[in-house]
Formats: sequence, C-alpha cells, structure tokens
Amino acid sequence: MRNYLKQIGTILWKDLLVEFRTRERLITMGAFVVLVAILFNYATDWVRVSPEDIASGLIWMTIMFAGLLGVGRTFHLEAENGAFQGILLSPVPKDAIFLAKALANFVFLYIVALLVVAVFMFFFGLEVGSNFGMLTIVIGLGVLAFVALGTLFTAVSTGTRMGDTLLPVLIFPLLAPVVIYGTTATSQFLAGRPVTEAEGSIRMLAAFVLMAFFLGWWLFRFVVED
Amino acid sequence: MWPGTQDWGSWLTSVSVSAHPEADEKASTNPVLQAQGLVREYGSVIAVDEIDLSLARGEFLTIFGPNGAGKTSLLALLAGALRPSRGQVWLRGEPLDFGEVEWRRRIGVLSHQSFLYGHLSAEENLRFYGQLFGLSDVDNVVRDKLQHLGLQERAASLVRDLSHGMRQRLALARALLHDPDIVLLDEPYTGLDPSAALVLQGVLSDLRDGRRTVVMVTHNLSEGVALATTVAIMNRGRFVWQGKRAELGDDFGQFYHSVIEGHG
Amino acid sequence: MSSKKILLTGTVLAMIGLIWLGAVYWMSFFWVSTEVTQGIAQRIMYVHVPAAWTSFLAFGLAALFSAVYLWLRDERLDRAAVSAAEGGMVFATIMLTTGPLWGKIAWGTYWTWEPRLTLTLLLWFIFLGYFLVRSSTENPEKGKRHAAVVAIVGALDIPFIHLSVIWFRSLHPEPVVIKAEGPTLPGDMLTTLLMSLGAFTVLFLGLFLLRYSLENLRSELDTRSRHASV
Repeated sequence: MRNYLKQIGTILWKDLLVEFRTRERLITMGAFVVLVAILFNYATDWVRVSPEDIASGLIWMTIMFAGLLGVGRTFHLEAENGAFQGILLSPVPKDAIFLAKALANFVFLYIVALLVVAVFMFFFGLEVGSNFGMLTIVIGLGVLAFVALGTLFTAVSTGTRMGDTLLPVLIFPLLAPVVIYGTTATSQFLAGRPVTEAEGSIRMLAAFVLMAFFLGWWLFRFVVED
Repeated sequence: MWPGTQDWGSWLTSVSVSAHPEADEKASTNPVLQAQGLVREYGSVIAVDEIDLSLARGEFLTIFGPNGAGKTSLLALLAGALRPSRGQVWLRGEPLDFGEVEWRRRIGVLSHQSFLYGHLSAEENLRFYGQLFGLSDVDNVVRDKLQHLGLQERAASLVRDLSHGMRQRLALARALLHDPDIVLLDEPYTGLDPSAALVLQGVLSDLRDGRRTVVMVTHNLSEGVALATTVAIMNRGRFVWQGKRAELGDDFGQFYHSVIEGHG
Repeated sequence: MSSKKILLTGTVLAMIGLIWLGAVYWMSFFWVSTEVTQGIAQRIMYVHVPAAWTSFLAFGLAALFSAVYLWLRDERLDRAAVSAAEGGMVFATIMLTTGPLWGKIAWGTYWTWEPRLTLTLLLWFIFLGYFLVRSSTENPEKGKRHAAVVAIVGALDIPFIHLSVIWFRSLHPEPVVIKAEGPTLPGDMLTTLLMSLGAFTVLFLGLFLLRYSLENLRSELDTRSRHASV
C-alpha cells in the first residue's frame, strides 16, 4: 500500500513539476476564464437579471469549459517522447496511474475554479461572506467529479479520429447531476443560506465523486492496455 | 529453513538472496525468455507471424531485418507492451500476466521513443523512473548511471537542451536504471555520432556479463553481430534465419543480403 | 445457440412483436377511453412511455454485456452490446419524437423540462457517445473496449441523472403539469399501457436477436475476407 501511494505521489509530483515549469496550462486556462467572464458580461441583459440570479450557473459552466481545455492536455505532456509508454512499462498499476493523473488534473482545475469564483466576484460584485469555506468545498467536489470522468474519457477520446472534441460529448451528459447539485448548493451559499439547506446536494455530490473515482480506478486499465 | 536459532533478519536476507537470479544456479540452464507461436495482427496486417524463440540467461540475441519486418512489434510483445493476437511469451517459465505488474521490474526497454520528459533535467528524469521502479537509494543509483553513460556533466540540463546522442544515452540509462535482467533494445545506434556509438558499444558489451539476457534490434550489421551470441534475420513477420553466432562466416553483410533476397 | 436458431428466434419474436403492436394500436385507437383533459392526443402515451422503458432496458443490457465483455473478452458479448445499444437508441429516438409532439398538441409547447424526457435525452447522447467511440477509434479492437467503458459508466450514472433531474424539477416546478396519467390510471388505460409495454419488449428482443445475427455474419465476412487477402 505504501509503495502504491509512493508511486502515485511520484507521478503526481512529476506532473505538477512539469506543469509549473512550463505554466502553459495554467496561463491559458486562466486567460480563458477572465475572457469568458468578460464576454458573459456583454452577453447578458442586466436589465432583466441581476448577477445573483445567474452567477452560480455561469461559474459552474465556466469551470466546465475550462476543465475541458485543461483535462485534454493530460496525456499530451506524455505523448511528446512516448513517455506514457515508459510509465506503462514500469511496475506501476494502471489504477495508480489513473489516480495520479486525476489528482494532478484536480490541482490545476481547482486552482482555476477558485480563480473563476474570484473573477466573478470581482467583475460582478458578488458577496460570499461566511459561507466561503463551504463554497470552496462544493466547488472542490464538482471539480473532483469532473477530473475523474475527464481523465478516464480523455484517454478514450484521444484514441479516436475526433480527438479531444469528442470529450464534451462523452462527459457532459454524465456530469448533469454534478451541475444540478453543484449550482443549487452554490446559489444557496451565494445567497447566504445556512449550510443545512445544502446538505442534500453536498451528500449527492460526494456520492457521485466516489462513484466517478471508483469507475475511473476500475476502468482505466481497460482503456490504456495494449 | 526456519529461523530457529538464527535471527529473523539474517533469515529474511538469506531467503531474498536465494530468490535473486544471480545466486540461482538452476535458472541458468532454463530459458529466461521464451516465445511460442507469437502472432500480432493489426486488422488485416500480420506484423508478427508465428515467432518462436528461446533464450537462456546470458544470451545476446541480435535481430536484423528490413523496415516493416515486424521487429519493433516483436520487441513490444517481448516487453509486454503489446498483447499477442495469438501465442505466448514466457518470462522465467511464467507466462506474461498482464494483470500483474511486478514482472515489469525485470525488463528494461530502449524504444524508438526516448520516454523522457523534455522539461525535466536528465537527473530528474532518472530519479522519476527510479522512484517508479521502487529503487532504494535512488540518488546514488542515478548518479552512478549518469556516470556510467558519460552524462554526469549534463545531469542538470533539461532534456530538450540535450543533443540527440546524449538523449539516446540517457534513454539507455533509463532502460538500465533498475538493473533489469532482461534488456530489450530497439535500434540503439540510430542517429549516434561515432563517439557516442563508441560509448554505446562499451555499455552494451558490459551487458554481456552472463547475468543478463539481451535482445537487440539493429540495422548496424557489424556491431550487431559482434555483440551477439545468437542471431536472427526477420522478414515479413517471420524469422527467415535463426542460429548461433558461431555458425556465421566472416562476411555477414553478404550473408544477410542473400537471405533477404532469397526470401524477398 | 447456433446462428440459424438465433435468426429464426429473432424473426419469430419480431413478427409476434409487430402483430402484438398492431393489436395495441387497435386498442389505443378504438378500445381505450379518452382522457378527459387532453383528449385524443393523450393516446400517444401508449407509444411514448413503453418506448422509454424499452430504451432503458436496452441500455441496461448493453452495459451488462459490455461489463462481461471486458471480463471475458468474448467478441460475441461485444456484438450483443452493440445490438442492444442500437435498438435502445431507436426506441429512445421514438420517445424523444413522440414527446414534443404530444407536448405541442396537448399543451402547446414542444419541450418542457420534464424529468423523464430530459433523462431520455441525456441517455440518447450517452448512446451517441458509445457509437462514436466504437466507430471512430483508430484501432477497432480498442474501440470496442473503449465503447464498453462508455456503456458501463453511462449505466452507473443514469440513476444519478434520474435522481437529480427529478429533484431539480421539485425545486423549479413548471406551471404546466405533465402528468400523462392522473393520480391513478384508470383500468382500461393501464391494460393498454401494459399491453404496449409487452409488445415493445418483445419487438425489441426480436430486433436485438436479428441485429446480433447480422453482426455475427458481418464479423464472419470480415474474417473470411482477411484470410482471402493473405
């Protein structure tokens, strides 16, 4: 078990190291987030809606789109010199590889997700107040669900002629519950509602995350074999 | 066998030592790497067509053949990187189990691709793989390997800044890092200048220590034959000639071309 | 089961299903009583609801076959999975076309975010993903495995989607209440509905077996042409 965790840690650390050296993903995803917020501003009729009405949804959709950009890059880094083959030929179990990749994706996407919240708060004057902690947890759960399914299905879509463009077709239907429960809880927190009201959503989200990670952990090996 | 008056520590080490290939005399006569009826198809293309081979410990098999002969696929099958369409590969008498990972510790692979990360340094790359393979004392092993392949000067350089020859040497260092007893090399001489080729030659000769089993694919006829204990010529997925190095005459080049033309 | 037997069973079941469906049509048009609030348009229900049921049954089968395929690697399981998935997608399409038709005629709007409709729409897209992955993966063998993964994940996700869209509906009630039936379904309507359910299921099973034997033939043809070209 300790060895297993060490192997996950090694791959995770390597991904983080390479990413922070190049900073490519973080910069592009960060720029994307700000630009999307700007466009959303011009795309919205502020006479009819106020920021609080739609903020939750916009935040979550922006995270999802940014996530698509980021998670698609999961294996590109390895493709350069065939390094992924090197990992597959090492005595690391395929499920450990999945967990490492998913966790690395989580780190990047979570940073971007918090940026999304910050950007929306900045641009649209949203207040979060005392529920900020819970908000970060809800968003964290959403991002976990996204990276679990995203990491698994990126490996699938990369092997197709359509490549990464297939990824949203594969994961968006599956992520509907995440969006539903996530946005509901987020609106509640943005409106300052007590935590107890969002308990049901959070519990469902957590259950979903467990299922998504279990599926990725189990099925990844079938996707990368050969 | 049981500790009894011995203490547990020495019992444990004695058990693990006898499981180590070096001390296992019996294994040296049994085949280390075997293939039987190995076939690999890609749709309607048959890349590897009924290959049989059997290598004892210490043997060095060099495989020659034109492009598209299936050499790379064969190596990938032996490395456990590909599943055969039919047939089987055995490692020390055990068939390759794709559900297990531990046997991968005994195999070192040098492929067409370097398996290296461009944005990490030479040292960081080796350290990464060292940790994946669960080596104890990673830092020292990495340092020794870099030295062995003449790369200690460039240990901190990023791989993207290294010349092709150095990258190739680093890739070889990566393949040998965990001291595998089966080494698979896919065209290691490609793109190397004479001095780098010399370093490579030295490293490969060291592999002929009687302990390791090596399979090398190469276009380099003279070097390939010089290192080999057995030779195979592959064409269109099959071994069209297979035999001991001693069976070969002086002019391998001529022999090779006649074999290929004969089966062309 | 030999391929001849499968073909025969499939044909027989499909025939029975069609005849049964004919009877159901007769029942829905001439026998069953008309619903008070919606009028004649409500009779679409006898096609709409069983189609949904059948598409979910089909998907469940596809996911089951896929899981066992990954375990046993028997090609026949993959063929069964794709046969079930195709049938499922057809019935899902039927449900999704009859739904808006019903909505427009009975209530004036094509689409309401009714939980069942939304769930089936998402299921349809999961089917789509299954087929796209299976047909567009560079290595066809990998494609079958990857598609199997899509089916399995989809099947385990469906309960979550189901719960979440119903829950969403409870938070955002629509002014129009799309209850196909009242609080309880009157006897004759229930009978017709169950009959239709039976007809659709039998028809699906027949089509499934026919499609499966077609797939068997296709792969046989494939193997023979491959050996011929060698």
